[in-house]
Amino acid sequence: MTAVSTRTQPAVAARARRPWPARLPWRQIAIYALVLFFAVYLIAPFIWIVITSFMTEADALTVPPQWIPQNPTLANYQGFFHPSFQQQFLGSRAIQDTPHALLNSAIVAISTALLNLVLATLAAYSFARLRFRGSQALMMLYLGSRMVPGVAIIIPFYLVLRALHLLDSYLGLILAYTTFTLPFTIWILKDYFRSIPRDLEDAARVDRCNWFSMMWRIFLPISAPGLVAAAVFAFMTAWNEFLFALFLTSTIKTQTIPIIVANFANDLNVQYTFMAAAGVLAVIPPLLLALLFQRLIVQGLAAGSVKG
Amino acid sequence: MRTGQLAARPDVLGNQGGARRRGFFNQTIFAYLLNVPALIIIAMLIAYPVGYSFWLSLQKYNLKRPDLRRFIWFDNYRQLLTDSTFLNSIKVSCIFSLCSVILVVILSVALALLLNESFFGRGIMRSLILLPWAIPGVVNGLMWKWVFNARVGVLNGFLYDVGLIHQYHTWLIDPNIALAFAIFANVWNVLPFSVIILLAGLSTIPSELYDAAKVDRAGVVQRFRNVTLPWLLHPLLIVLILQTMNAFRTFDTIYILTGGGPGEATNVIALQTVRTVLDFTDFGKGNAYAYVITLITLVIAIFYVSTLYKRGSFEV
Repeated sequence: MTAVSTRTQPAVAARARRPWPARLPWRQIAIYALVLFFAVYLIAPFIWIVITSFMTEADALTVPPQWIPQNPTLANYQGFFHPSFQQQFLGSRAIQDTPHALLNSAIVAISTALLNLVLATLAAYSFARLRFRGSQALMMLYLGSRMVPGVAIIIPFYLVLRALHLLDSYLGLILAYTTFTLPFTIWILKDYFRSIPRDLEDAARVDRCNWFSMMWRIFLPISAPGLVAAAVFAFMTAWNEFLFALFLTSTIKTQTIPIIVANFANDLNVQYTFMAAAGVLAVIPPLLLALLFQRLIVQGLAAGSVKG
Repeated sequence: MRTGQLAARPDVLGNQGGARRRGFFNQTIFAYLLNVPALIIIAMLIAYPVGYSFWLSLQKYNLKRPDLRRFIWFDNYRQLLTDSTFLNSIKVSCIFSLCSVILVVILSVALALLLNESFFGRGIMRSLILLPWAIPGVVNGLMWKWVFNARVGVLNGFLYDVGLIHQYHTWLIDPNIALAFAIFANVWNVLPFSVIILLAGLSTIPSELYDAAKVDRAGVVQRFRNVTLPWLLHPLLIVLILQTMNAFRTFDTIYILTGGGPGEATNVIALQTVRTVLDFTDFGKGNAYAYVITLITLVIAIFYVSTLYKRGSFEV
């Protein structure tokens, strides 16, 4: 405490002696100016599409734009489920398809996350706990497969799934997304498993617990935060993916929400406010997950890239 | 699923006396058994397609004319050298990637340094940074298309209100502006990832170093150059490599925002590949394009892995 006061007092005295512009807290001002700039940069475009989604079409088309809608309405969101006559008349297929596409996305993304956990837990455990020949080469293989650009394998992928009669099916999409996300899931689970002390496993071994029940009863419950983070990443990748969905789906039976959003964007007749509402609906699940699991996600991203 | 896979290996699970005691050999077998499911998926859906894609790229193969399918060695690649659309898409991709990466590095370093300071509302800012990251590429494209809209876009409205422009512009019909805006839209979407990596890097700097620098009366610039930068160098390299790799395969945002236009001004290589396949059903040529992307990525990836290796952070 005394150290602090002796250090600050001369500084305050020096500041008082200087002319007034130098006395302003320039550093604080600069920081808050930058904070303001970045805050606007980060949220303004998104806020605008949210505002648009609550406008009537007439309000959205005024020049200059209405910064705050004069007649806020929920009609755009209600329209997806109970389109009015006018909406049905003007609306494209995209409007009717939106609820089903959201359902498709949810099914595909949740299944991808679960399948990821099952497959990755096994592989990650081997890297975290076992010493084996070729472990480094195997990890390289996983890392390498994470680098393969989707667009580079999309054509053969399409042909493989066609041969298996899995085009335009949930399973085809789930397999595709599991393949992309698996290497990353293995990587972050491996790191997480390593951070868990071995004591409990050793205790289980003394109790003659077999490997499976040890995993199920002890290891996996302790690893829950890591598993949740991995599942969230896999879910978000699957939810947001567009290119493979474009190739592998052809009907609303399996089309995911990014496809429908793209249809909105390319449809010249569509109402802008509907387009905005569909965009917002597509963002809600990943955004909620990102905010709910913020700490886990930040840790996972940092671990997944800084360390490899 | 899990039960099924495990039940299929009673030999491993039965005498589970502890993998360590049973020696290195048994551990190796057990480890590979654990990796079998993941390896099957990766072999079937990544390794095989990568090989098959190369095989297809050596063929003349248009889905509309399967009767003309034949093996032509490297003719598809040879044609690329004189294919103006392809050469243009490579040029566009290079400009796009270079500008994106430079912008991302500048903005993310600034933002990470800012978030590392203490100020009122830092927690909120750290949450806000995740917003662009969570937004799907398709919605990102849609959102910016709406912002840049010529007639009712908010950009026109804002610039007009401020007085910077005197009439509304149709931004996306100018080739240079369209490319610049596509870069801008992409940067917004990919920025958070870099910021998070850099923030993690910053948090590892021991605060004693800053105290020592203050004692030595080092100024802000000196402190940045002599303390922060050396510690930030490695995360920065990671950001550079990953962002370059991602920039070269950008697809969603551009597909929605400009569709490659006007003309071919924003026709990046990934978009050109998809067009070749979906619009012209030319599987042979499409795969040749795709392989060029793979090779570019491969070079970057080798660089990436060797960087990690040298630093010793690649421990398995």
